[in-house]
Amino acid sequence: MTQCHNHWSPLGLTRREMLNRFGLGIGGLALADMLSSAQASQGGLAGLPHFAPKAKRVIFLLMSGGPSQIESFDYKPELTRLMGQDLPLSYRGGKDKPLPGMAGNQSRFPLVGSPFKFKQHGQSGAWVSDLFPHTAKVVDDMCFVKSMCSEAVNHDPALALMQTGSQISGRPSIGAWVSYGLGTDNRDLPSFIVLVTKKNVDQPLSCRLWDSAFLPTHYQGVQFRSGRDAVLYLNEPSGVTRASTRRMLDMLGAMHGKEREVFPDAEITTRMEQYEMAFRMQTSVPEATDLSKEPQSVLDLYGPDATKPGSFAANCILARRLAERNVKFIQLYHPGWDHHGKLVEGFQKIVPEIDQPCAGLIQDLKQRDMLKDTLVVWGGEFGRTSYAQTVDPSKSGGSVYGRDHHRECFTFWMAGGGIKPGITYGSSCDLGYNVASDPVTINDFHATMLHLLGVDHERLTFRFQGRDFKLTDLAGKVVKGVLA
Amino acid sequence: MTTVFAVSGRLTAADEVSYNFQVRPILAEHCFKCHGSDAKQRKGKLRLDTREGAMEKKSIVPGKPDESEFIKRLITTDEEDLMPPPKEHRPMSAEKIALLRRWVEQGAVYQKHWSFIPPVKAPLPPVASADGKPLHPIDQLVRAKLQQQGIKPAEPAKREAWLRRVSLDLTGLPPTLEELDDFLRDESDGAFEKVVDRLLGSTAYGERMATDWMDVARFADTFGRHEDADSAVFPYRDWVIKAFNRNLPYDQFVIQQTAGDMLPGATQDMYIATAFNRLVQQSNEAGSNEEEFRCEHVADRMRTNGSAFLGLSLECARCHNHKYDPITMKDYYSMSWFLSNVDELGLYSRYTDAVPAPSLLIYKDNDESRHAELKLRITTLERQREAMRGEAWGRFNQWTNAGGRPAVAKPVVHIPLESFDAKAAENLADPKHPGAVRRKPSDKPALGRVGKALHLEGDNWVSVRDVGDFSRTHPFSLSIWVKITAIQPRAVLIHHSRAGLDAASRGYEILLEDGKPSFALSHFYPGNALRVRMKQALPLNTWTQIVATYDGSSRAAGAKLFINGFPVETDVVRDHLYKDIVYEKTAKDLTDVEEVALAAGGRYNDQALKEAYIDDLKCFDRQLTPVEVRVLSESASQSKPEEWFEWYLREVDGPWRAATDKLTEARKQENELSMTLGEMMVMREMPIEPRPVFVLERGRFDARREQVQPGTPESVLPFPDDLPRNRLGFAKWLVDRRNPLTARVYVNRVWQIFFGRGIVGTSEEFGMQGELPTHPELLDWLAVDFMEGAWNVKALCRQIALSATYRQSVVPTDLALLKDDPDNRLLARGPRQRLTAEQLRDSALAVSGLLSHEVGGPSVKPYQPDGLYDEAGVQAAYDQDHGDKLHRRSLYTYWKRTLPPPTMTVFDAPTREFCKMRRDRSASPLQALVLFNDPQFIEAARVLADKLVGQYPQDDAARIRTAYRLLTNQTPSDWQMQVMTKSLQTEREELAKEPALADKILHVGEAESSKSLPPAEVAATASVLRALMAYDEFVMKP
Repeated sequence: MTQCHNHWSPLGLTRREMLNRFGLGIGGLALADMLSSAQASQGGLAGLPHFAPKAKRVIFLLMSGGPSQIESFDYKPELTRLMGQDLPLSYRGGKDKPLPGMAGNQSRFPLVGSPFKFKQHGQSGAWVSDLFPHTAKVVDDMCFVKSMCSEAVNHDPALALMQTGSQISGRPSIGAWVSYGLGTDNRDLPSFIVLVTKKNVDQPLSCRLWDSAFLPTHYQGVQFRSGRDAVLYLNEPSGVTRASTRRMLDMLGAMHGKEREVFPDAEITTRMEQYEMAFRMQTSVPEATDLSKEPQSVLDLYGPDATKPGSFAANCILARRLAERNVKFIQLYHPGWDHHGKLVEGFQKIVPEIDQPCAGLIQDLKQRDMLKDTLVVWGGEFGRTSYAQTVDPSKSGGSVYGRDHHRECFTFWMAGGGIKPGITYGSSCDLGYNVASDPVTINDFHATMLHLLGVDHERLTFRFQGRDFKLTDLAGKVVKGVLA
Repeated sequence: MTTVFAVSGRLTAADEVSYNFQVRPILAEHCFKCHGSDAKQRKGKLRLDTREGAMEKKSIVPGKPDESEFIKRLITTDEEDLMPPPKEHRPMSAEKIALLRRWVEQGAVYQKHWSFIPPVKAPLPPVASADGKPLHPIDQLVRAKLQQQGIKPAEPAKREAWLRRVSLDLTGLPPTLEELDDFLRDESDGAFEKVVDRLLGSTAYGERMATDWMDVARFADTFGRHEDADSAVFPYRDWVIKAFNRNLPYDQFVIQQTAGDMLPGATQDMYIATAFNRLVQQSNEAGSNEEEFRCEHVADRMRTNGSAFLGLSLECARCHNHKYDPITMKDYYSMSWFLSNVDELGLYSRYTDAVPAPSLLIYKDNDESRHAELKLRITTLERQREAMRGEAWGRFNQWTNAGGRPAVAKPVVHIPLESFDAKAAENLADPKHPGAVRRKPSDKPALGRVGKALHLEGDNWVSVRDVGDFSRTHPFSLSIWVKITAIQPRAVLIHHSRAGLDAASRGYEILLEDGKPSFALSHFYPGNALRVRMKQALPLNTWTQIVATYDGSSRAAGAKLFINGFPVETDVVRDHLYKDIVYEKTAKDLTDVEEVALAAGGRYNDQALKEAYIDDLKCFDRQLTPVEVRVLSESASQSKPEEWFEWYLREVDGPWRAATDKLTEARKQENELSMTLGEMMVMREMPIEPRPVFVLERGRFDARREQVQPGTPESVLPFPDDLPRNRLGFAKWLVDRRNPLTARVYVNRVWQIFFGRGIVGTSEEFGMQGELPTHPELLDWLAVDFMEGAWNVKALCRQIALSATYRQSVVPTDLALLKDDPDNRLLARGPRQRLTAEQLRDSALAVSGLLSHEVGGPSVKPYQPDGLYDEAGVQAAYDQDHGDKLHRRSLYTYWKRTLPPPTMTVFDAPTREFCKMRRDRSASPLQALVLFNDPQFIEAARVLADKLVGQYPQDDAARIRTAYRLLTNQTPSDWQMQVMTKSLQTEREELAKEPALADKILHVGEAESSKSLPPAEVAATASVLRALMAYDEFVMKP
């Protein structure tokens, strides 16, 4: 944290940065010059991007809890055929040691197939379960990765790994790395914005998932909320008018201006600048988050929840609006996928919450010609087991089973931003339990994401406690096979 | 920048070159990349980071620079041979080359890393103040360096500025107007000393120092992981406040936090202090491996102890030998032994609110004596009853002679397992409470000990609800027949609980561990539980009866196991049950899990019996006597009359039964008390056997390698022979006078409190990769002086606060220094920083008069944006407090690790998930929004406006002047007065246009507003104050 950062930060500055700017003689620039650059690319490290980026921004749709690949995109008829039979020991590497997770306590591991029908769709012939009719329509824009694998089997460390590249808490989030490396293309909005679907689940998301950790504080994700104050304290409390805020800033401007004549401290300028930026955010944020002017035809794309504030559909529209405004990293969370029991019922409820919005987002970006430089990613922190948890499906009518956490193999999809459309990358074994070909680790996934943004993951580093930290830690390879 | 200052900064005699401070920085910058410790990067097989390496190829010939290839290569004109290679673009200056040359001349002496060499007080440089008065050593050492560089120190700050600065630094609060005026009037010699002593003597001092320590101790009000449930550990916070206020010497501060529980005659406070090592993040996620998470706890302790006390990032050595510092993996795991030897589970409980053991019951008022009395009463009653045996024999004989006949106790639950299905299993003892079998076995009914039996397949246990809910004071017995066909490492035979791991085994259970029956009662296993285990495993393929009896004593000695009617030898595995084993009504109720039940054969999310058979489950609400057990087992044909004596006592003998009633009553009272007392996580050594510790390959919990013994890194300080090899010894090692790090790290930290930056900028890292100290002699002088002065923290603060260095104005004599030395490493001016998150809020509360001065107690929940938890998906509700609790110091604000108070984190407060030695000081628009719009600030502004308008109803100038002095402690200049009074006038005019606004402003926040004053006047003043609370002079320390 003691190294000189020879760059500007997108939204906020460390003291060091403020002083550097002063040292570089920028502190004296007219305030107006600094504030009029809403659309210019600023900040970021010198020399970045390392090469021409394919994606200018990322929308990451994280399905927290761990959605089942077997009921969604990884078609496994073999599981239906072998319903009720135990997972053969050979699939567990022949080891009879207890499996991790809750199912470790089970005496049997009865296989269970998806009760939902699968069909092939589009020219690419991608298999999609009947629960995803809308996603099925856009499969030709997508690349399915069926060979994702994680290292963690519990939510907390698995989410940490997915978001920070390490199971150990205390590392910066991907979005923070991206803003740190690439800066911002819009100085009126944060470059890393987080949207969480408003719903009650028993697994709250920790704000550590979008934390900047040892990167300077202002790289942390800013959560936009669904209510009146999309950003905390965005609006004046009742009785205090915007005009009064303006007058207050003018009074401060007068006093700070004069103060600087006596004591030319760069921090004073910076503070005033941040105050003015806050004032502008009071306009730019409501403007960006106002869905009321979206035409009906657009709302229709995202489905019936589109007008429900805080819904995944509304957040997807918001994500598109933020993408239009060149926000670099837009992270959505949709919790509720932790189906240890009653998976069928749970899926029937949760999938419609995301199916049409996801498809709508792809279509909407495409019709605006933004899909080409916007990377959209969908997936959970892990997948689910091929065998049933809690009850033996063959003996209980089949519908009340659940599935346990599964890190060995699960499915992601990616679209746009330099991803090869209409393909499936990697495969799982016949039982969907292990990766059969082309494994993609979380570090590989991060390396690929950074690559699409024009960043060599080996060269995006930050020195902390004497070590050069990377998002991908000591591993990670770009997955060439998914690149367009 | 470090290098520039370091090269010229060392104050040793000009002709003696220092490897650590002069040579090494040059080598690190220009040479180590290819000739350092990294063998992979090494060129020409030459390493220059060790003397042996440099000598090996005669690269350096000590004393003979001209013969040293090392020097030759630096000055050659041959581009091919020149070092550093020109293509690296890191040419070495002539000054540096000259220095290296001198170093070689002087013998090329290498040194240990500077921070591993114990500090000594170097001779002080002969520097005096401008007026010839003697200077404090701090100032002598700082000014000597300035002189060397030809820089003049800044003028002393204005008195107002110094007072504001020192008040904020020592108490976290600005001075009051009275304090300000008193000080400005006081022209006596000791005026400054008086202020510092007053501040050090105030309780606010302890609060301020504690606030700083909370980041180090990662103190928070929740566990941090998964559900992030509440964890009430505020007594630890209050202990820290008290420790600072009564000026506990720092060595004691460290010892008590590390091993207070092991000190002779440890007090409650000393135990509370040890929570320091329990404030790790904890999870309660179902399906977690408790050992995996326990290892994470230990790793967090290592990281925290490393940073907090030693300034070393030890965690690197968790997975591999430290790359830069001389700390091996073996060192790491040897040291972790001390922090591992605690009887913790690794998880907190999902289905109970239990405090993770080991814990301490916290006494208030006369709780402690009441508890002691009750325990004494229990012991006395036990002895008295025991003494009654002799006489009772007489009565027993009479009773027998009179024809009294004994009979085995009747069970309260009896499930013969003769007829059962998924819905019901007949309960002969209590037909109203039939049992249920979870799933019928897949094959035909098995043959039982008698009749049929239940074939267990790993997921089909039998359970009965609403029975057998015994407290730890209640005697009871269990009986079952079992036939196993294989040995399982762990299998549940009988339990009465809601869950195993997920409830920390609350309840009672009989497990088969490697086939050995093991009987336990638990409040929170393993630290608050008792367990006895049979020495031998059960035979395979044989029907065996297991009976467990318990006497209600909460002692392992009262728990017995019988096999086929005869008592068996057991090992005591745990014997520390001090709270109840029943579930409280307050516990969380989650769906999908069977509720508390008595069950046999398995348990949800636990290891069930597989390929085993059970038959004839019984539960008794009393402690069976050995003869009853034997009769029950049907293995005893005959019994002698005298064998029924114990039975007679229990069932018939009047005096004995009366004594039992009395004893039970006392036990119940003690149990009830134990459940109402406060409780907190603390450290305690493992009972019975120490926990073995192994090197873990790549830090993985399941990759155990070599076993290690307790120890500390030799490179820091070998573990002295005269210290015990336990946590107390470790604590004493930390503060051993010979430990080169602990005192340095702490004085540096205190320096950081005052100057915003430590003498070592990386206050968490004193290892090779940390920054070099800007003033090494000063650091060492302070460290040695601190140790010589008995680790007196107030004295340390006092001398820094009174130093001329600290008193300097923030404006340097030469303004160019703002640019040349932006971090103020030279200390040629006073410290200037933005107030911390806590100081900002506390200042606003203080100046408005809203601040509550109550010290300590449970954390409070002040204002928070509506729907914050909701939007984050947190299920718990944020029950905002009211009244005074809204206005406590920010130190007392409820801290949820997964969602800490946003007004704190936006100003760089950490999440408190792990130890943080230093905060960023960033500026962002989000901070501006808090200052502008957080109701807390608006409320403070309008409450202060109320006062000012009341005080100066007509006089704008006086009102504004007072406001400005309160908020900034400075006297406003004329132009400032003009801007502000004009602003007030404008606000007044604007509010006149829309009078309804004023009333709304006066209702921001819950504090009462004065009804008698004109609302528009108060609101207009509040608007100006709102602006002033965002003004530089309020936001910054002057």
